[in-house]
This record gives sequence, structure tokens and C-alpha cells, in this order.
Amino acid sequence: MTRAAGRLALLSMMSLMLTTFSAADAARLAPWREGPRAAFTLDGVDGGSRSLATFKGRIILVHFFATWCEPCVRELTSLNALARATRDRPLSIVAIDVGEVDLRVRAFLQKLPVDFPVLLDRDRAVARSWKVSALPSTIVLDADLVPRLFVEGDLDWTGSDTIAALARLDPAIPLRPTTPTASAAATVK
Amino acid sequence: MDRRQFIASTTAASLAALMPKVAFADTLFAPKPGAWRSVDLITKLEIAKPEGAMQAWIPLPSVSETEWSRPGETRWTGNAAKVERVRDPKYGAEMLHVIWKTDEFMPRVEVTSRVATRDRAVDLDKPGNAPPLSAAERSLYLEGTDLIPVDGIVKQTSDKIVADAKASTDIAKARAIYEWVVENTVRVAATRGCGTGDIAAMLKSGNLGGKCADLNALYVGLARAAGLPARDVYGLRVLPSQFGYKSLGVGSVNVTKAQHCRAEVFLNGFGWVPVDPADVRKVMLEEPPANLGLNDPKVVAARKALFGAWEGNWIAYNVAHDVALPGGATHPKLGFLMYPQAERESLLLDCLDPDNFRYALLAKEVTPA
Repeated sequence: MTRAAGRLALLSMMSLMLTTFSAADAARLAPWREGPRAAFTLDGVDGGSRSLATFKGRIILVHFFATWCEPCVRELTSLNALARATRDRPLSIVAIDVGEVDLRVRAFLQKLPVDFPVLLDRDRAVARSWKVSALPSTIVLDADLVPRLFVEGDLDWTGSDTIAALARLDPAIPLRPTTPTASAAATVK
Repeated sequence: MDRRQFIASTTAASLAALMPKVAFADTLFAPKPGAWRSVDLITKLEIAKPEGAMQAWIPLPSVSETEWSRPGETRWTGNAAKVERVRDPKYGAEMLHVIWKTDEFMPRVEVTSRVATRDRAVDLDKPGNAPPLSAAERSLYLEGTDLIPVDGIVKQTSDKIVADAKASTDIAKARAIYEWVVENTVRVAATRGCGTGDIAAMLKSGNLGGKCADLNALYVGLARAAGLPARDVYGLRVLPSQFGYKSLGVGSVNVTKAQHCRAEVFLNGFGWVPVDPADVRKVMLEEPPANLGLNDPKVVAARKALFGAWEGNWIAYNVAHDVALPGGATHPKLGFLMYPQAERESLLLDCLDPDNFRYALLAKEVTPA
């Protein structure tokens, strides 16, 4: 196989499977078509533990990431903007670091602090039970903790399309980004 | 994966395996068993920001093979309260368990292990008289591990590779999987450390990028799923390549970041056969002038050799998966043990950050080739 043919084969294969880490521009929220996911309780990066059940009654974004994943860094910044914009709204974000040691995650968050809880899936058990095979991945649950939307790859969470999709899950959320991003500005009329 | 697409890629891979023979004559990468070379591997470890209870686990060369790896004496110095040589009960991986007294002001240890190594090559044209694996060994090296399942998408992928290559013998299956990994994976320089080796996630996502612990783990998983005993061998490059490959050797005595995982597949009559598809992709990415194509003579030569041979400029730590650190706090098992590990107040330090951990690895040849 030539190098070009090999690349074509790989690209074709990738297009037929799940979204890859680098497919940033293609990432968008899609309807959830699988079944429910198991509840979890995980340690927080700053101590204590948190269970999924504590978020019942709010829309929740369960975001899986790792510190070594470049798109994850971009998306955490975007999620943080969403968190600030929705501070008074019934929406929560919880980030789950997958398979890294606590001190690594702590050091990372000292450089990139976020306004939402970060939990530690040290043995990847939650990522596996939620069938997460690519990072970053985010599943959006409704107030009854039922998965409704998901996205693999990093997403601009302050984009108007994204905000609208979240708003459809709960009438209390039409939200406005605190600082419109280029993509959001381009789509807002 | 679409079946037709899969067939196209695997068939092309098989054809590609036939192409390199012309170009090979121009470039030599042909490890052959020859003189033994002895190396002192020195691990210098300190606990940064010492506080509370502290302990460390330092992997020791513990693969003993009469043809290519002879671990020797290990010595240590430092200010530990207790030092003990311990073994992983399942795979026999050895490590030095070091415990300091609580609040030790400057916890440190220096470990020196002597190990002899040499090139390795198996003549794949004629089966030898290698003894078969015991039933227990065969079972061990066929089973799935935490990060290397051998069912589901791994089994499906392996079955397709073997079927599309029309591989009917064990050696044909082993080679077909090798060629497939070479053709379909890519080395990603940004991968942390040597990668995590989560091969089911790689296959499900379609992202077949990574480093040696990813790519060679993929080989091992696919081989096991095809019924071929296989194993990762975790180790460290310690010497330059004698074949002039800068990407396949070290450039100084400081080998702190020279960890490298290889792989073996067991073939009846031949015994354990060395393979290293990840190093083919490393040559492609890194060998000057970099970003070489599959038809570059240097890549062709490495690809031909690395199914059946390894250069002995590398030492093996162990073949272990799912390693629990004896005496440690409650941590998930490590996917593999290739880096020093340490705990400070029950929290694992980041083994992929040697500057802040802190540790350094030095390799000095003591018996010239």
C-alpha cells in the first residue's frame, strides 16, 4: 500500500467509526440514541466525593477529559465560559478526568482553573461504563438524569446553536454567552 | 468498520509487504546475535516537596533470557528506612520498594542495575526446536488485560485482518497483524510518555495514533485475539543504534525519557519472536530528515527486520500488565510498569514528569562491544 493509499484507508476507516480527537470543527451536539448510563460516585480533585444523583433537577453536562488531550484544554475553557454564563440557571457542569494521577490533575487545574467540579475516574471505570472511547466526550443529561445529547470532540459551548440545543431541554435556559465567540457571533442574527 | 474498506486496507498492506525487497539492499538494519554488551543502569530518585509518608517503586530489569537478556546485580544507596526487592506475583516483574521515614527531610535513593544485552534475531525460514509454552504460560499470554481486551472490537478486527490476508498458519497470522499495525497506525509525537495502551478505545474511536505502548499493545491484543500468545516487553533504550538509526537509539547517557515497549509473539518451533511495529512508525516520523514514507529505504529496512529481530541497545524491565504496587495506598493497578513510581502522603506522583517527580535515569556501557 502506498503512503497515500494507507492514509486514505485510515481516513475512510476513521470516518466510519467514532469521532476522532482532532475533529474539532466537526464536533456538534447530537441526539443521544443509546440507553441510560449507570450512576456514579467519584472523588473530587480537591477532596470529598460527588455522585451523579446530587445533580438531579438540573441539566447536567458530564464531560470526560484528560490533561494530555489538547482539544480537551480548549474545550475546558469554553465550558468555563458556559459555566459563568449559566451561574444562575439550572445547569451544571461536571468534568471527569480519565485515568490520571491526582497530582497531575491538580497541577493542571492550578494553571487552568475552572468554575465547576472536577472528579477523578482513576481506573477509567466510569468512562468505560459510559462507553466513552474518545476524549473529549460530553453527555448532556436532562433534569431526570436521562442522557439526551452528546458530543465527541471539542465543542464551542457558547455558540448559539449549542445554547439553543441546551435551551430546548429546559425552558429556563435560553442563555447568552458572556463573551460571544467568533463562531457564535457569526451565527447570531 | 466497513468490510470492503477493511479488505482494501489489509490487502494493500499485504502487497506492501512484498514491495520493500528491492530497496532493502541499500540500507542495513539487520540485528544479529553477536557480542554481549553490559550496561549499568542508574536510577536517581528524590521525592519532590517531601511531606508525610513517602515510598517509591523502581522497576528493575527482570527479564532473563539466555539468548538476549541477562540481568545482573542491583545495588542501592540512599537514606531510606527500608528497601526491599519485590516481585509482581503474576508476571514476576521485579521492583525495588523503598520506604522513607515519615517527613524525611530529603528522601533519595540511587539504584544501579547491571544488565547484559545483545541483538536478537529469529530465522523465520526454518522452525527450530524451541520448547512449547506450558499450559499456564499459554493461558497467561492469551488472556485479556485491563487495557488489552481480546474480545469485542479487538477480536473482530483481528479476525478480519487474518481473514483478509488469507493467513492460515500462525506465522502468517503474526505477520499479517504486524503489517496491518505498521500500515494503519501512526506515531503521534504529542502523546504523553509512551501512551496508555487502551487498545479498545483506539479501535472504537478509529484514532490509531500513539506511541509504543499504544501501537505495540495493539499488536499484542490483535495477536492474542487471533490465538497467538503474545506479550509486551517494557524496557528502556540505553545505547545508540549501531546501524546508524538516530530514532532507534539514545544520544547520551541520560536516558530518563528513553522508555520503550517492544512486543513478542510465540510461534511453535520458533519460540518467542521479537516484533516492533511501533518502531517502524518511529523511524517514519523521526529518522532524519523526518516524515519518511513507507518506501524510504530506512523504513523498508526497519520494517523488514523488526518482524523477527531487535537490536540489543535496549534493556527489558518486565512483561507485566495490571500491576499493583505492593504496600502502596489504594490506587488503580498500573497498565504497565516502565517508569519509577512514588507516593507522597498516599498520592501517586506523576511518573511522566521526571523533572518535578524527581528522577533521572543514566546508562553507562561497562563492557564495550
